[in-house]
Amino acid sequence: MSIQAQGVSWSTAGRLIVDNVSLAITPGETVGLLGPNGSGKSSLLRLLCGLRRVTEGVITFDDAPLERLNRRDVARRLALVEQNATTDADVTVLDVVRLGRTPWRSMLSGWCEADSAAVEQALAQVGMETRRYQSWHTLSGGERQRVHIARALAQQPRELLLDEPTNHLDIQHQLEILALVRRLSTTCVMALHDLNLAAMFCDQLVLLKEGRVAAAGTPESVLTCERIRDVYGVETVIERSPHHGCLHVHYLPRRETSLPRKETSPPA
Amino acid sequence: MSSRPSHTRHRQGLHLGLIVLALAVLTLAMALAVSIGEIHIPLVTTFKALSNALGVSEYPLDRIHESIIREYRLSRALVAACCGAGLALCGAILQALLRNPLAEPYVLGISAGASTGAVCIMVLGVGGGVVGLSLGAFLGALGAFAVVLALSRGASTSPNRIILAGVAGSQLFNALTAWAISTSASAEQVRGIMFWLLGNLGGARWPDVILALAVVIPGFVICLLFARALDAFTFGQDAAAALGIPVGAVRLILFAVTALMTATMVSMVGAIGFVGLVIPHAARFIVGTAHVRLLPASLLIGAIFMVLADIVSRVILPHQSLPIGVVTALVGAPVFAMILYRARPPL
Repeated sequence: MSIQAQGVSWSTAGRLIVDNVSLAITPGETVGLLGPNGSGKSSLLRLLCGLRRVTEGVITFDDAPLERLNRRDVARRLALVEQNATTDADVTVLDVVRLGRTPWRSMLSGWCEADSAAVEQALAQVGMETRRYQSWHTLSGGERQRVHIARALAQQPRELLLDEPTNHLDIQHQLEILALVRRLSTTCVMALHDLNLAAMFCDQLVLLKEGRVAAAGTPESVLTCERIRDVYGVETVIERSPHHGCLHVHYLPRRETSLPRKETSPPA
Repeated sequence: MSSRPSHTRHRQGLHLGLIVLALAVLTLAMALAVSIGEIHIPLVTTFKALSNALGVSEYPLDRIHESIIREYRLSRALVAACCGAGLALCGAILQALLRNPLAEPYVLGISAGASTGAVCIMVLGVGGGVVGLSLGAFLGALGAFAVVLALSRGASTSPNRIILAGVAGSQLFNALTAWAISTSASAEQVRGIMFWLLGNLGGARWPDVILALAVVIPGFVICLLFARALDAFTFGQDAAAALGIPVGAVRLILFAVTALMTATMVSMVGAIGFVGLVIPHAARFIVGTAHVRLLPASLLIGAIFMVLADIVSRVILPHQSLPIGVVTALVGAPVFAMILYRARPPL
């Protein structure tokens, strides 16, 4: 097990956000965190990388408790890609990716060969080698996300956490980013909204409801009509797609809205 | 602003060249500041007096000239340079830590807090002298930091809120200052304090120079050690923490250094605005955003700017000098407006 959480809870401002969550991440897998808005996906990711301190329970990396590790050691083995993180500073792609070397450099050490190699490799992995001198502010949303992933890869992590990496991207870029994440040999844990994309790109899914784990396992075991009705309150038909072989969730409209409307109500 | 790795050596050479150039400009500006005044002293005399003072030479010089240079103008120019350097450095640090292009000691009310502290020391008459004043100012500056951070708490995502907190803090501390003056100061004290509050280098002597250097040089070294940590704040506090930066400790240390530098400057020359705002932006324009280059650039440009502003404040009106805070505000306020205009969200 690479990352393990045992009975983890977290509350802020008197509200319980993450409630007794236990999970174990197998090295090399891509794990999707699913759940409605406010179900604690982002909070759980922040707990897993030590940005927030658990109220109860324990998180371990290869059996070492997270609390005993210092920030730098955590940053050397685990990288986080935040949701829509941006900056006003006039930085280039290369500047951002080089930030990934921060945990590997001491206060006074210079830039070394290993740093350059890691940055080059990261740029190549996301296909941004030729765009390295481009300004951050001229990049599209998808390109920014790729640069963030490259920055995270330059940290040479064993685990990569991504918080809704496809948020605000068009479908082409969503597929591109997820395919990129899927190709990485790094263990990945990502919060996702789209059940179909999760089924296509993840080995394991964890479904959260109100801070608790509602289900965990393979997409086939997690994505069932009953569970989606229970967690999201949405009726679905789930079948295996004849086109790509993964599960596909068809969302059914609610009864009342699906009735043919005989008359349109006058504008209020 | 980027440069290719194959040109790294070339780039380093360029930056070294820029530093040498800036130092030369600073020396020239300080020489001018020493020469220009009620009594004009030729530049050559200035350099000769300087080399005499350093014990390198023994040029025969006009006694009056030499003592004006030694006792008044050189110390004044040095304090001006330290002040500009320190305030610009504070601005660069605060802009990085708070991720706000408008952050600087004056806008955030840190200078106002330091003024309150210093004024309290003055009117109460406890532990006078430049160190006592600085200590009072330091406590005031820390208090202002606490107020601003408390008011903007939980608002790290909203950059405008900390500026509003700064406005509120400034108002509060200015009111406290006015209260202290009006209740406790004599008429003569009031005149002196009012002149000092607007920024005045007239009283700068050698003890001030020593204190200023003793604060700015170690302060600069500490900030430079954290240059890489400041870069990691590019995408915010959580991003910095995820890169392995001990965010809480870094913020605490750098806020304390900033408060100390601001307090020292304010206790010596009063609250001088906008230097911390304008200079880091100018420096970024020249050397880019990486703090390992931005901090030295801010330091040097700040020093040059302040020495020049001091010259302007002395020559712009015949037979009297303007408070230097007026000169910096005349330059800084339009720049502030410009940044505010550019920073507004797209419609």
